[in-house]
Amino acid sequence: MNSVDASEHYDLATTDLAPSLLTIVFDTNPHAWAALDQSLPLSKAIANILVFINAHLACNYANEVAIVASHTQKATWLYPSQNESSSSGTASTDRDGDLAMNGSIPSQTNKYRPFRLVEEQVTKNLKDLMDSTSSDDVRGNTSTMLAGALTLALSHINRRTIAWAEEHGGADLEDAAADGAAGTGSGSARHSAANEDERLQSRILIVSVSGSSDSAHQYIPVMNSIFACQRLQIPIDVCKLSGDAVFLQQACDATKGVYMALSEPRGLLQYLMMAFLPDQRSRRHLVLPTRVDVDFRAACFCHRRVVDVGYVCSICLSIFCEPPPNNECLTCGTALDIGDHGTKPALIPRKKKKKKRVNGTSAAGTPMSTPTPGP
Amino acid sequence: MADSDEEYVGDVTEDEDDLQVSKSDRTRSGKRKQRGGAEWELSRTWETLVEGADGTISSTVEGLLEAGKRKRLLKDTTPLQRGIIRHLILILDLTASMSEKDLRPTRYLLSLRYAQEFVREFFEQNPISQLGVLGLRDGLAFRVSDMSGNPTEHITSIQALRTQDPKGLPSLQNGLEMARGALFHTPSHGTREVLVIFGSLLSSDPGDIHQTINTLITDKVRVRIVGLAAQVSICRELCTKTNGGDETAYGVALNEQHFRELMMDVTTPPATYSEKRSASSLLMMGFPSRTVEADPSLCACHSKPSRGGYLCSRCGSKVCSLPAECPSCGLTLILSTHLARSYHHLFPLINWVEVPWNRASQSSACFACGLPFPAVPPEDQWQTTESHAKGMSVSSRYECTACLNHFCIDCDLFAHEVVHNCPGCQSKSVRVSEHHESEGMDTTA
Repeated sequence: MNSVDASEHYDLATTDLAPSLLTIVFDTNPHAWAALDQSLPLSKAIANILVFINAHLACNYANEVAIVASHTQKATWLYPSQNESSSSGTASTDRDGDLAMNGSIPSQTNKYRPFRLVEEQVTKNLKDLMDSTSSDDVRGNTSTMLAGALTLALSHINRRTIAWAEEHGGADLEDAAADGAAGTGSGSARHSAANEDERLQSRILIVSVSGSSDSAHQYIPVMNSIFACQRLQIPIDVCKLSGDAVFLQQACDATKGVYMALSEPRGLLQYLMMAFLPDQRSRRHLVLPTRVDVDFRAACFCHRRVVDVGYVCSICLSIFCEPPPNNECLTCGTALDIGDHGTKPALIPRKKKKKKRVNGTSAAGTPMSTPTPGP
Repeated sequence: MADSDEEYVGDVTEDEDDLQVSKSDRTRSGKRKQRGGAEWELSRTWETLVEGADGTISSTVEGLLEAGKRKRLLKDTTPLQRGIIRHLILILDLTASMSEKDLRPTRYLLSLRYAQEFVREFFEQNPISQLGVLGLRDGLAFRVSDMSGNPTEHITSIQALRTQDPKGLPSLQNGLEMARGALFHTPSHGTREVLVIFGSLLSSDPGDIHQTINTLITDKVRVRIVGLAAQVSICRELCTKTNGGDETAYGVALNEQHFRELMMDVTTPPATYSEKRSASSLLMMGFPSRTVEADPSLCACHSKPSRGGYLCSRCGSKVCSLPAECPSCGLTLILSTHLARSYHHLFPLINWVEVPWNRASQSSACFACGLPFPAVPPEDQWQTTESHAKGMSVSSRYECTACLNHFCIDCDLFAHEVVHNCPGCQSKSVRVSEHHESEGMDTTA
């Protein structure tokens, strides 16, 4: 195809491998962290994650990182900080924004600058976030804003992908824009394997501590984000410290990411380094640790029972474990036609038997036509 | 070609805002469609370029780009009952007229390429739907791939057409009759649709095509046609009649991009008609679990040995991919995630509104990606910048009316086309929880 539409020469320019963008969605639910306090306090987890981020940044000088906190009542950026602190700009001021953030700067002057920037901003923003959380916010709420955090992360990835493509040749730009934005098609199909390598490699790591019990109202947004990742070929990795979430398993399965439920949270850093550090390119050559037994069961909308065979409303796609009362969909209220459910199987009419006999006499006698003697 | 004459003589200013104004453009194009499916018109692209204060045209060009992006976005977001479960037959014209080179590389190769993209996108958008592909060649209709829910089967059989050459004349009637036969047994809760890619200007039929049209209407088959050459009267009549008077079902491609857009429009599930046309019903579906076996065994669908697979929840046969219909008991087997994939059609994200300068000072950067917005100019300059934009926001800010956050055009596009979530609304649960609490209070009080 390329030889025909003369787009071949674009592929020849591959010189440098594209850097990767790691976006971490960090679950900061205070309830769950309090429960984990014995084995892995939050401060230690943050320290481990910062080491992991440094390792990622050290892999390639152009690698990027972004961290979103998924808190109980809001999702917010930890790095790069976007709103209050950098009122006049984003990336540029982040790079230059070495405002004094804590008193320990003199001790850190020898640190690699990107490491220091990330560390300072993350600790500062996390502290702000925790300070802004009142006990009222925490009281009634044990869930986490996973959908919002994922959406923010995806928006950032989209922005960075477009920006990166703009910087590195306009040829990719249209593809990336069409890919990311149009959504009307192409998606993966238009990109050859070579082209894949030229794009910014993005991936999402979710460090999750909360269970999924309370996030039912987030189901649709979370699924939407997962499908967006799938379409954009962004793997979602999940590092599950406690609890278990069906969504996240499905997310990893759909996007071909790594799912790990840590049996020993104290070894967080080791897990991160061993399982989550390789980027997409390296992963092609690795045997990834992931689960095979993904929970795909569906829960019915009426009784929350887990069903094998269910009934689905053809209008709103709600799942029921039995035909709803009055044949009316409980979600959208449409009158439903139950169809063949409960009817007896059709009996073969006698006429046919006669016909068969006629056939049997005219043509070569089939064994069917001879009446079998009763027992 | 009365259209072109009128446009050419017509007022220049009208041409100008035709390029920039997406909203009025829609009404105009609606008018044009009533006159005919052809959207050919003369556009004077050079006249819309106005030099900015600094003597360059970059600001105008950027504005045009943004307006173009925005134009794609503004669609109807009223939640309609949509036919999520679709049965569609794609009919490809494979006759001599397809070897024309007005669409690059040829109409034939381009339509095959777009057909493959269409299949992929169709199943992306309609995971529990069925598709079949027919071809028209030498006056006959022939089956390219059977009705099924597996995109790879269709794509490989469309791929196989690539080595063959287009020849002969098309028979629209034969194609429609065959499509009708394939759709005849489909259940009434799903939609029955036909999409024809038609490059010819004639149809050499064995019988009366009007009778075929009437039977299509009684069978509730909706036909959409993408023409590649020029408008053909019978195609227009066919689309109008089978779509209940809706003329937008027939489009003639102006160029490659437009051809693609016309085809991809079809991937969005159509709104369902009144209840008597498509009976909604309760479907029995199986949610199978995945198994991984130690030794490979044959799957029931392809008789190929495989280790992994899904066991039908009713009869226990093994199928290798989902969604599928169980080959032995006929139960529809899907994953709950397939259902979730269609939810964004049912609960679409509301359109975001443009932000005028007087409210623009609330934000300095995009809420989602942090892109800095242009600073608010002094009040006396508001008018000058406002003149050249209607589809787009003067301040480059777009506001979600639910969470009142401001976003940039790229995030607007991304949120509506890809994620289908509002980053602002999803990031703050305060509103939601307050709402719940107040509801709870009401019920207790």
